[in-house]
Amino acid sequence: MMFTRSVAAVPLMGRVTLRQLLGRRRTILLVLLAAIPVLLALVFRAANDADLTGFASGVLDAVAVTLLLPIVAVLFGTAAFGAEIEDGTILYLLAKPISRWAVVAAKFTGAVGVTAVLVLVSVLVSGAVVLSPLGEQGAEATRAFLAAMLVGSTCYVAVFLTLSLFTRRALLIGLVYVLVWEGALSALLPGIANLSIRQYALGVGNAFWQMQPDEARLSPSTALPLAIILVVASLALATWKLMRFELPGGTD
Amino acid sequence: MTAQLPQNPAPGLPVQDVPAAAVSATLVAPAAPAIELINAARWYGNVVAVNDLSFSLGAGVTGLLGPNGAGKTTLLHMLAGFLAPSAGTVHVLGRSPNRDPGVYRQIGLVPEREAVYPFLTGFEYVRFNARLQGMPNSDQAAKDAIHRVGLEDAMDRPIGTYSKGMRQRAKVAGALVHDPQVLLLDEPFNGMDPRQRLAMMDLLGQMAAAGRTILFSSHILEEVERVGNDILVMVAGRLAASGDYRAIRALMTDRPHTITIRSSDNRRLGWALMADPTVFGVELGSDNLTVKTAHLSAFRVLIAGASRSAGVRLFEVISGDESLESVFDYLVRR
Repeated sequence: MMFTRSVAAVPLMGRVTLRQLLGRRRTILLVLLAAIPVLLALVFRAANDADLTGFASGVLDAVAVTLLLPIVAVLFGTAAFGAEIEDGTILYLLAKPISRWAVVAAKFTGAVGVTAVLVLVSVLVSGAVVLSPLGEQGAEATRAFLAAMLVGSTCYVAVFLTLSLFTRRALLIGLVYVLVWEGALSALLPGIANLSIRQYALGVGNAFWQMQPDEARLSPSTALPLAIILVVASLALATWKLMRFELPGGTD
Repeated sequence: MTAQLPQNPAPGLPVQDVPAAAVSATLVAPAAPAIELINAARWYGNVVAVNDLSFSLGAGVTGLLGPNGAGKTTLLHMLAGFLAPSAGTVHVLGRSPNRDPGVYRQIGLVPEREAVYPFLTGFEYVRFNARLQGMPNSDQAAKDAIHRVGLEDAMDRPIGTYSKGMRQRAKVAGALVHDPQVLLLDEPFNGMDPRQRLAMMDLLGQMAAAGRTILFSSHILEEVERVGNDILVMVAGRLAASGDYRAIRALMTDRPHTITIRSSDNRRLGWALMADPTVFGVELGSDNLTVKTAHLSAFRVLIAGASRSAGVRLFEVISGDESLESVFDYLVRR
């Protein structure tokens, strides 16, 4: 009974999460952010620059995968639980006879959904502008970056959503991880590729199109299992934490 | 109802400003109480939020009173399963509510925080609650709950456009949509206008009459007084009193009852009453007589006999400090 009720509750809570995440200000900001790769693609196209590798590395990797994806994911991932914990509406979900894993699943699918749609559309349109005229190679590159965005969205959201259950500073920590760990340190210390979501995403993209080896350091056979382990472990940890969720006592 | 007056507070962790003695009037609960706490305590590091709480509640409405910082919200959060007791046990309907989501099939919770999903309409919000409860006909259940709180006119408007009182009513509708056995409400009347408050009080009374167990916290004593007689009074994390507040008042023998009398001859009646050892003092006013006594029930017998033997006609006898406010003031200041 509890299991059936919990399964049925996932889409209900997921829809509420979507409406919650798609607040006007946040959505406008992120849509503008997602438009940057498209604008850059238009600039590339206008310059008649048909350099596949240059566009993939300079725009899709450096802008879409390295900046757009983690920023969108950290904002949606941390807000999925963070905003509800902040304003107390999380109680309307937790004071219900449904398993905690169902609440995590709803929040996760909602946040991954909006993140993935935004970044995938951005890559798809950018790819269509610059890469589609390049024939099969261009299509392969587009597919590679779409796969990378999908894997990256899933991993980043899983991690940041879980992080938001442990700390109120999840957004700050998430941004530090993206900018310092994945941005600065990974360039200096190639060995940390196994601990980088960006590398998991690019590694899976390698299955569709060979990316620059100095940027995408993992093979698909390494990246995909690591990504799956990360997502499963994060969601299990989130469920564990949510089962122990406590409210402050209040002032009275 | 049984009553007792312990000489000292219950032993346990140190708590600042604990009353020198706690008044206790044990509530008469059914064989299986809906809510039961046994020596329950909750602390955060060195800070004790609530300590050594033991009481049980059956069907009916109970008001949870206490000054700011007394531990009322902590107690409600423990009962709602969102705070595990650091010591002792907390049972709701025979099971520990902590880490047991199944218990929410029978619990309705109205938290103190105001926020409700602003993008949902009142109807959507209440139906959302009904669906998460797994109710088969969630639309009808939502309409019924909205009708009970009188929110029909605004049910199709987004909650973001609601007044504070309307949001409160939407929260209550969401909490009772599944007709829970136990309803926990933290300051439920906040923001409601007087008419809405009366309607909500009547609703809680009806639910209690139907066998539900309702515990609500409030700062406003008149609200508690109007909804029911049973109270839990918390002071500095401890239970200072529980039970019918009139019974608690009767236990407060170190505080004399003040009775104001108007009669055909106040002076003669005053002389007659002063002869009795239960009367502490008599004060003659311009058109009344104020008497202080330790035992109200004995005084009721005394006044009848004394007025008859003195040949004085009684026009009015008012016990001035029997209100909940008087009881609460005594317990908090003690």
